[in-house]
Amino acid sequence: MSPETQAPHWEWYYIAMYFYIGGISAGAYFIGSLVELLGREKLREISRIAYYIAFPLICITPILLIADLGQPARFWHLFFYTKDITPYINHQSPLSVGTWALLIYSGMSFLSFLNVLVADGRLKSPALRSLLKLFNRIPHKVYAAIGSFFGFFVAGYTGVLLNTTARPLWEATDPLIGSLFIVSAASTGAAVIARALKRQNIVSGEMLERLELFDRVAMIFELLLIIMMVIIAGQYASPILRGWYGLMFWGGTVAVGILAPLWLNWSARRPTTSVNNPVLLGAVLILFGGALLRITLVQAGQIP
Amino acid sequence: MAKGMFVDTSICTGCKACQVACKEWNELPGEPAHFHKVPDRPYQVAINFTGNSYDNTGQLSATDWRHVRFIEQFNENRTEARWYFSSDSCKHCNDAGCLNACPVKAIVRTDMGNVFVQQDVCIGCKYCIPSCPYGVISFSEQSGTVHKCTLCNDRIHNGLGTACAKACPTGSISFGEVEELKKRADARLAQLKMRGFTKANIYGYTEAGSLNVFYLFMDEPSVYGQPEHPVVPQRRLFRSAAITVLTAVAMAVAALISFREQGTKKNGEVKP
Repeated sequence: MSPETQAPHWEWYYIAMYFYIGGISAGAYFIGSLVELLGREKLREISRIAYYIAFPLICITPILLIADLGQPARFWHLFFYTKDITPYINHQSPLSVGTWALLIYSGMSFLSFLNVLVADGRLKSPALRSLLKLFNRIPHKVYAAIGSFFGFFVAGYTGVLLNTTARPLWEATDPLIGSLFIVSAASTGAAVIARALKRQNIVSGEMLERLELFDRVAMIFELLLIIMMVIIAGQYASPILRGWYGLMFWGGTVAVGILAPLWLNWSARRPTTSVNNPVLLGAVLILFGGALLRITLVQAGQIP
Repeated sequence: MAKGMFVDTSICTGCKACQVACKEWNELPGEPAHFHKVPDRPYQVAINFTGNSYDNTGQLSATDWRHVRFIEQFNENRTEARWYFSSDSCKHCNDAGCLNACPVKAIVRTDMGNVFVQQDVCIGCKYCIPSCPYGVISFSEQSGTVHKCTLCNDRIHNGLGTACAKACPTGSISFGEVEELKKRADARLAQLKMRGFTKANIYGYTEAGSLNVFYLFMDEPSVYGQPEHPVVPQRRLFRSAAITVLTAVAMAVAALISFREQGTKKNGEVKP
């Protein structure tokens, strides 16, 4: 461990929020594309809603990322080396590889977004229609598969990016933050789909049941990962055990964001309990917990 | 051939001439964090120096590329004191965490082995900052980019040594070919050991793929604020990525099971 590393001073409202929103988008897209690839007619609404959510969310993220740069106008240097204007990628840098993955994922989620717009008869723009026609020579399932692969990449590389530094908390929790962010992305993605389905009142019992089942598995997995992470970090876990970040992590992420929804999720399985409210509340709690997970891990790793 | 510096802390007197020479040659301004507005003064006042030590800057920063570290050890009643000094800077690691982390190739290694930040390429993403196991590279709000010691890139490419080494009055900092400097360091270490300084050690032969700026310390590296076993973060990248991919596969399997055709068994379903 290094005694005197410096913190990057990333702002929570830019970087942690990017990790969070990118994760939700990628998680939702992954679930939507998987359902599409499985070809489940009964669950078609899940894909539709997922594609509607994924693209607008991912559109927010470049704004957050560019705003945090010291030289925002130079963001394009991430794609081209300025000395000879050739495409550039640094395979050793999760930030560099992740930027390209984000670009590819954005493209795929854009195509899927256009696809559902056409299916719903909402796409009026002739230019966009012909663009989609050009891409639709390849079956949409191919885009969905590529998109969910890079979506997972976007959800997970952010954790690998933190682990691949010399900051004590991030170094000591290596290699688990990437896994934790992936699982949280899947869980928040499922939650946002459940919430949107509810809002549109197009929800069938089976769809919610399946989303809940998946969320349950993800949350149990997330809980196990958090316990493992704290154990392997040992004394270096202290920034997330004490003070405000400790409260946010254990009270917010673990108790409110995982244990409470798990309990609601569990009790909703019993036929006597009303299904409606727990699902709604559970989804909101999961989304709240996912935000605090990113904020605490990103910010607590930067305190001196 | 790689150029570098050998810092023999056993003969450093803590005069800070190296800090001054570095500031002058590189035209570095005063550390902004040291100056603050106070009521009733139209100008900013220097009020944020360490104040409890002869160490004036406390750490390296975007405007302090060299920092003479004061290790001030006193006994209970302060009748005895032991002072160590160590002039610290970027070590120009041969496996440099900052260079590995840079997503835009702003941080490069020149033909002389020094690690250099191209100011016109840097985008200020700040990822190199936590990637340096020594906490050297720093962000400047003024330029929106990162800065650190360049090993006087302009001087050494024009046949001069570094400004700090040139200014050092005791020869504690010497500039030259790394291989030559190592010979000198080994000889000095042998001499000190012979004279009974058993704790003396060379820091930088193995750390981070070997350091082009390396040190002779009179005590453990940790006494001088240097990590005993610095890990270049990217050496952990493969494992970290592999575990994350495995988790992604596990989540895909969980999703397949959750959303597959047969579905879960309904509560109370009875097998025939």
